[in-house]
Amino acid sequence: MHRQRDQFGLAGCLLAALFVAAGCHKGATSVPAAGGPGAAPAAPAPAPAQHVDGTAHTDTVENAWRAAGLAPEGFAPLQPVPYGASYCEQGRVQTIDTLVCEFHDQDTLGKGQAALLEQWGREGGHTGVAFHAKLTVVGVVDRARHDPNGKVIHQVIDTFRKL
Amino acid sequence: MRRALAACLFLLVLAGAATAHAEVVQYMSRHPIPKRVGHGFCDIDVPHFHDYPPSDPRLYRQVDGQYYFVGDPTPFDYDGPRYSFYGPHPIADASVQLGGPAYCYIRGPHFHWYAPPPQAQFEMRGGAYWYVGAYDPAYYNDQPRYVAINDVYAPMVYARPVIDVQFAPATFHGEIFVGGVWRAGPGGPIYGGPGWRGGPPPGVERREMVMREHREQEFHHEQEHRNWEQRQHEQRERGHGPVAHGGPERGGWHGGPPAERGGWHGGPPHGGPPHGGAPAGNAWHGNGGGGQHPAGHANGFHR
Repeated sequence: MHRQRDQFGLAGCLLAALFVAAGCHKGATSVPAAGGPGAAPAAPAPAPAQHVDGTAHTDTVENAWRAAGLAPEGFAPLQPVPYGASYCEQGRVQTIDTLVCEFHDQDTLGKGQAALLEQWGREGGHTGVAFHAKLTVVGVVDRARHDPNGKVIHQVIDTFRKL
Repeated sequence: MRRALAACLFLLVLAGAATAHAEVVQYMSRHPIPKRVGHGFCDIDVPHFHDYPPSDPRLYRQVDGQYYFVGDPTPFDYDGPRYSFYGPHPIADASVQLGGPAYCYIRGPHFHWYAPPPQAQFEMRGGAYWYVGAYDPAYYNDQPRYVAINDVYAPMVYARPVIDVQFAPATFHGEIFVGGVWRAGPGGPIYGGPGWRGGPPPGVERREMVMREHREQEFHHEQEHRNWEQRQHEQRERGHGPVAHGGPERGGWHGGPPAERGGWHGGPPHGGPPHGGAPAGNAWHGNGGGGQHPAGHANGFHR
């Protein structure tokens, strides 16, 4: 009888623990597709991807990195476009997750950049940067300490800000 | 039942820990990497975050939740451009906004990764930037809190810039390290030698002391120069070509310039940066261009 009660108690606790985990995690995963730098907070309605005039386009940024001796790879547009941006591409530079987004205005840029950093902070990256010039944001997150001294990240940002 | 309760508690703690947010520490610019995390210096010079806090808060200021490294990056394997400073000065890093007057309290010669902007009140003398402006009240208010940065650097052995303090601007208000003791700039009390912690000795006029030290240094310079010329003469007699102008046995090079007053002056024998003292009355003024010590080329001589 005691043993049966113990088993029930344990099962109840397991359930409670699962609820705790799920409850706490809910806040962290209210953004869909967590795990990639392109994962974004739930957008009310997906906006069509569209480049923004008057700011550096993603392809220009990637070409600048190549010209600087870096190796951007796997860049592809994100759909739906996350963080309130008008256009985003996600890939890797020197194996470090990198995101380039173009925003329509400074207000959405500010909010998008903050949301990006908040999400990466929650996910627990080793190093994260979100830097903008005009209406383009470059975000870099080093999840696995590929760049412990930030030399690659510095080069990525430095090349971008010289555009 | 007790065992089940313990297991339950353990699972709850585990579940809570798994869902706790990772540590996010904001940095404003470059900074040393704590030894427990890695080694060396983080090169990222824009706001960023890491999952670790600073190694020593005495080396930082916190502005809007972001840490800004205010120290000399040299002993932390920093390998970027460096600029020499002498004594306390306003933090003149044009790439950051510190939200008000903020000062570097490092005594004596040290490096930063930034050069002061042209409009800032610095003078380049004897191989370093000296702050010659007035101090904001914030300097004195914050001094007790931030002067502890010197305790961090005191035990560190690394190549500081070699500065010719005889060219200290008359308007410099900080302390000067001359002949093994700390002395104030024009108009202040003498500070004791290495390990000094107390107040100034009473009744000593600093300017006089500094000037006397200068005269002693000049005598030394003349003596070294005479010795150098003698050696040059002997080598010419023996048919050898001209040699690099090395330093004396102890400390950086303090000799006078060679006859042509130009050319390269060799470094000190113990690995410190080479040091060339400009001829008296010919100190270089101004901000542009001077003071930079490219990584790996610690040539402190500027004209």
